Amino acid sequence: METREFGDIELRRVREHVWEIPQEGEMNAPARVLASEALLDHIGDDKTLEQLRNATHLPGITKHAICMPDGHQGYGFPVGGVGATDTTDGCISPGAVGYDINCGVRMMTTNLTYEDLQGHEEELVDALFEAVPSGLGGGGVVKGDAETIEDILARGMQWAVDAGYATDDDLAHCEDEGFRDDARPEFVSQKAKDRGRNQIGSLGSGNHFLEVQRVTDVYREDVAESFGLEADQIVVLIHCGSRGLGHQTCTDYLRRIEKEHKDLLDDLPDKELAAAPAGSELAEEYYGAMCAAINFAWVNRQLIMHRTREVFADVFDRDWRDMEMRLLYDVAHNIAKKEVHEVGVDPEGRPVRDGDAVEREERELYVHRKGATRAFPAGRPELPPAYADVGQPVIIPGSMGAGSYVLRGGDQSLDLTFGSTAHGAGRLMSRTKAKQEYWGETVQDELREQEKIYVKAQSGATVAEEAPGVYKDVDEVVRVSDELGIGDKVARTFPVCNIKG
Amino acid sequence: MGFTLRDHTADVAVEADGESLGAVFAAVADGLTAAMCDDPAETGDRFSFAVRAESREALLFDYLDQLIYERDVRGVLPAAHEATVRREGDEWVVEASARGVPFADVDARDVKAVTYSEMRLAETDAGWEAYVVFDV
Repeated sequence: METREFGDIELRRVREHVWEIPQEGEMNAPARVLASEALLDHIGDDKTLEQLRNATHLPGITKHAICMPDGHQGYGFPVGGVGATDTTDGCISPGAVGYDINCGVRMMTTNLTYEDLQGHEEELVDALFEAVPSGLGGGGVVKGDAETIEDILARGMQWAVDAGYATDDDLAHCEDEGFRDDARPEFVSQKAKDRGRNQIGSLGSGNHFLEVQRVTDVYREDVAESFGLEADQIVVLIHCGSRGLGHQTCTDYLRRIEKEHKDLLDDLPDKELAAAPAGSELAEEYYGAMCAAINFAWVNRQLIMHRTREVFADVFDRDWRDMEMRLLYDVAHNIAKKEVHEVGVDPEGRPVRDGDAVEREERELYVHRKGATRAFPAGRPELPPAYADVGQPVIIPGSMGAGSYVLRGGDQSLDLTFGSTAHGAGRLMSRTKAKQEYWGETVQDELREQEKIYVKAQSGATVAEEAPGVYKDVDEVVRVSDELGIGDKVARTFPVCNIKG
Repeated sequence: MGFTLRDHTADVAVEADGESLGAVFAAVADGLTAAMCDDPAETGDRFSFAVRAESREALLFDYLDQLIYERDVRGVLPAAHEATVRREGDEWVVEASARGVPFADVDARDVKAVTYSEMRLAETDAGWEAYVVFDV
């Protein structure tokens, strides 16, 4: 059997792109890494594997804890991690969702071509930068009073439709139609609401961005047609999350778990894996609060998309509807959701790995995706009618110099990853090192002169920290996803304008 | 005595030391400020606050969380931190202050949250040292 060793962790090769850390000691399940040899070299280079192994200690973790091809070290649970836990005798872990609840991406298509846009790049990037709040303290598209915040938390994008910022068609092309019915705003703290109030419709900073892109390659014509994508078309990608409201919600519940479920926490190898036992009052309250923060993030991205439509209307001097600016899909990549999956069970009905199973049963699980994207294939009941027969769109943002991908949920995803795939290129280099290696203005100049990519940012340091060279090869990440059949390549895009905090 | 920003694949880590618990808390907070801004302006008014928690580590976590909260709600970059830490019965208390630099005066970026990941707070021969990872 082929093996690879990284420190005290031995991985066994199961098959092409599938590696396993066998279950031992206090682990409640084996762990799996989905990666090529090249990606595995990166994954083994920091604490990703240790964090993945730690994640298998979560109570009720089912089948495997899984690391996606773009996985890297996070805090507690690795980024690129997927862990499904039983909703009856398992747990829900804020640490396995992350601070930025419903950080995610959406793509908006247009009927413009690259030729239509050429000559307008500078005007467009300036106008977008002016119109879309970004960075620290940049405010939001909407300044919310207490009632507005409550409404957004409870109703998500339905609020945006009523307030004139979204259309019914937008709702029909968003994960969960932009609204989590399980949202319980009363379980979101006042502190979190205070932080969210000035940030409704804002990008933030870090790796968040808005990018105007052109479609450069189409790999599956039939699927691309269903998604409304074709070569040379202009699309807009928006990447951000639930801002301070989501960050505070995660923080609040980590601390409550520390105080109220210390026994469970003491059994876990990392405090940041903090989990509330399934069925406990705290688990229910966190789930309600998290769903409310999910709604907030969808509204956040919607308001940015609304502003983008207005900017395009100004720059191209026509109504955005005439430019057919439609939401292709909005998909979360930091989230936990109750989903029903088929799992193998032993004679006592306990979920076990497939080789030990005597039969298969449907189970409700909390599927934690932290830096991983839902990638459901055709046929899953959660899919909107537009994609029910083709599989859901999956948007994989790359760096500002490498472009992004649109995939569709692959047939193998339910079996291998609880219906998930990667969420991006994955970082390679630390932010501190990036600032030593790159200078923001130089990166901007090179991208403009060599690649015709127009970048505008609040902070030059952010540009340096997010330079293309700090990321893994997104092509390799997507190749592995495609070859495993968890997310199939549909189209590739390349940046034209990029704004960030 | 002071802080250093340390490498972390996706986020940012602060290593700090100080002669007292209060000094090391303030040094970590100065590191948080440096993670958000390379060159904070000398403007802004000082503000004060106090935080209580059940342990020293929890207090450090809650203190840094409160600073991030104050930043978002006051609309300022907290800088030039001062802190004193004492024990009161079963609780630990930090009394802190910072200068709130208006966002308009600085080129700053977001830090989302403080984390417990790899957190270290330990007494040394020279005082206290700490290591904290922040989510960016």
